[in-house]
Amino acid sequence: MEAWRLPLSSSIRGKLISAGYTSLPSISSVSSSDLARDVNITEEEAFEILRLAKQSSGSSSCNGSRSLINGAKNAWDMLHEEDSLPRITTSCSDLDSILGGGISCRDVTEIGGVPGIGKTQIGIQLSVNVQIPRECGGLGGKAIYIDTEGSFMVERALQIAEACVEDMEEYTGYMHKHFQANQVQMKPKDILDNIFYFRVCSYTEQIALVNHLDKFISENKDVKVVIVDSITFHFRQDFDDLVQRTRVLSEMALKFMKLAKKFSLAVVLLNQVTTKYTEGSFQLALALGDSWSHSCTNRVILYWNGDERYAYIDKSPSLPSASASYTVTSRGLRNSSSSSKRVKMM
Amino acid sequence: MAPLKHLEKENPIIDACFQDFCASHGILTSCVLHLLFLYLSNYFEDFLLHDLYELTAFSQRQTNADRLKEGITLILSLIERQCRPLVNGLKLLEDLHRNKHTLSTGDKETDSLLQGGFREGQLTELVGPSSSGKTQFCMQAAASVAENHLGRVLYLDTGNSFSARRIAQFICSSSDATLGQKVMSRILCHTVYDIYTLFDTLQDLEITLRLQMNVNESRLRLLVVDSISSLITPILGGSGSQGRALMVAIGYLLKKLAHEHSIAILVTNHTVGAGGEGGKTKPALGETWKSIPHVRLSLSRDHKNSNCTISILKHTSLPSGQAAKTLTRKENQQCP
Repeated sequence: MEAWRLPLSSSIRGKLISAGYTSLPSISSVSSSDLARDVNITEEEAFEILRLAKQSSGSSSCNGSRSLINGAKNAWDMLHEEDSLPRITTSCSDLDSILGGGISCRDVTEIGGVPGIGKTQIGIQLSVNVQIPRECGGLGGKAIYIDTEGSFMVERALQIAEACVEDMEEYTGYMHKHFQANQVQMKPKDILDNIFYFRVCSYTEQIALVNHLDKFISENKDVKVVIVDSITFHFRQDFDDLVQRTRVLSEMALKFMKLAKKFSLAVVLLNQVTTKYTEGSFQLALALGDSWSHSCTNRVILYWNGDERYAYIDKSPSLPSASASYTVTSRGLRNSSSSSKRVKMM
Repeated sequence: MAPLKHLEKENPIIDACFQDFCASHGILTSCVLHLLFLYLSNYFEDFLLHDLYELTAFSQRQTNADRLKEGITLILSLIERQCRPLVNGLKLLEDLHRNKHTLSTGDKETDSLLQGGFREGQLTELVGPSSSGKTQFCMQAAASVAENHLGRVLYLDTGNSFSARRIAQFICSSSDATLGQKVMSRILCHTVYDIYTLFDTLQDLEITLRLQMNVNESRLRLLVVDSISSLITPILGGSGSQGRALMVAIGYLLKKLAHEHSIAILVTNHTVGAGGEGGKTKPALGETWKSIPHVRLSLSRDHKNSNCTISILKHTSLPSGQAAKTLTRKENQQCP
């Protein structure tokens, strides 16, 4: 039985199989009008089924090439690619150093913490920093900011953008002493121009937006970061069926992974915390449950240590566990000015 | 009506076959048989599902009853040919010694726990909570197989977690550049983001392996799917048992690949809350998946001192419940 392997809805699949079309050759040997008549579906659905069947049987035709499967890359090539992969700086050099240079593209990074720790600030800072032009060491890309809570403040983004432009002017003024100052073309308003802002009010809107992002980013190819603030908000309350929630969330995670890989952009998901009862005590853990915790490539947890804000790398395929402190100033995220500036390695 | 349709479709082919049959004095040539076999093999299932006596009785009422009856006998003989050959225990033992070797996992304690490591031809599952070291374990195994056993590794990644830099750290001979390059070029990485792509990829792989006769030097020895639970969770649950059917089908496809081509397959799974008394966790994917892998290992991390404990949940030849402590290899650590 091969017809059940086609990605179809279960009602159409059931109709196909009960009409006798159980294998792919039997489907491909019929015309779409005959198929529509036999199975009692519309012509467009029959056409779609035929297209899927042809695609499926076409991909299984053998080629004489040496590679095991099409599209596989070997680790040596990937090593060189990985070293040249750009990273988005967080404007805090301690945080950058434990992240290996910044938030890496092609990865889904999850950042979570208690309310008030600075998650939205990190989100706004990243959406500004991604636009730093290549001459100053940035990516020169645009940002998509998906706001589910309504916590994006335009005035704050303008403030951070102005601080970023001043830093860039200082940098170019320092590097190219013989040039005039103000070589930087960017103005704070241009930076705000390049942030695509979406406001989402329910979980269905969120899912619809994620499905639409593929098409949107194909049309706006210089988007280099997608920030979702926060991914938990609409999934925490009023969701009766937890099994459905797990399914929907894992589907969404896979879509983000695919987006990150396909367009080589960074996806940053901001998450909230909840209490969990483990090992006999209540502990803080990131929301959305155990299944969701596997859906990101990297995870950074923000926490308070006395009066200081700290960030801790909880999950990463190639970085060691470490924590670093940072502060939130009027100019954005910066290094904390405490005396112990060394990065604590775990 | 399905049976009538199938008989009508098959009849013209059988006509041509019978003509050849008569023309060559009763000797069925092998190419004709082969053609028939390929064409009819898709209909065997429908044929077998129907009552044979009913079909014969039905055909007797037709005008060309004799030809139809001969057609039915022909199909039955072809079905018998498709049955797998029976093997006895001695042949299985020979196959085990010759083809199905044990692959080291790259870590001495795990190797001694598993009495050698992964066995080719078996599906091994690695279960653990988040950030317990599953991806690190997979990458270490991939590096070890590519380096020590000179085999190729296919790494199917669902979470963009494959890091070539980390693999380079696991390879001991990275000081020698050309050897390091050769070892790393044996590891292939491919990303899959939904279960249908996984099916297509595995089918492509099966065809390629069958053509290339997986026996020479650089044959595929290890297939890693990290993680299979993130592909199956979106389709599991809900109304209907479609998701579970696909999950079982993927499990069987992996086991078939492992056995026929002598590959060791490693998949990772995550844990979910066990409900009831708080804090306990159990492997995801439910009860149906539990019986599919041959070997199940559980990984847990003690966050205070970054020790990993690996224990056996299920094994075909070792007692369950044994455990071993390992340390994740850091960047500057010496190789064993």
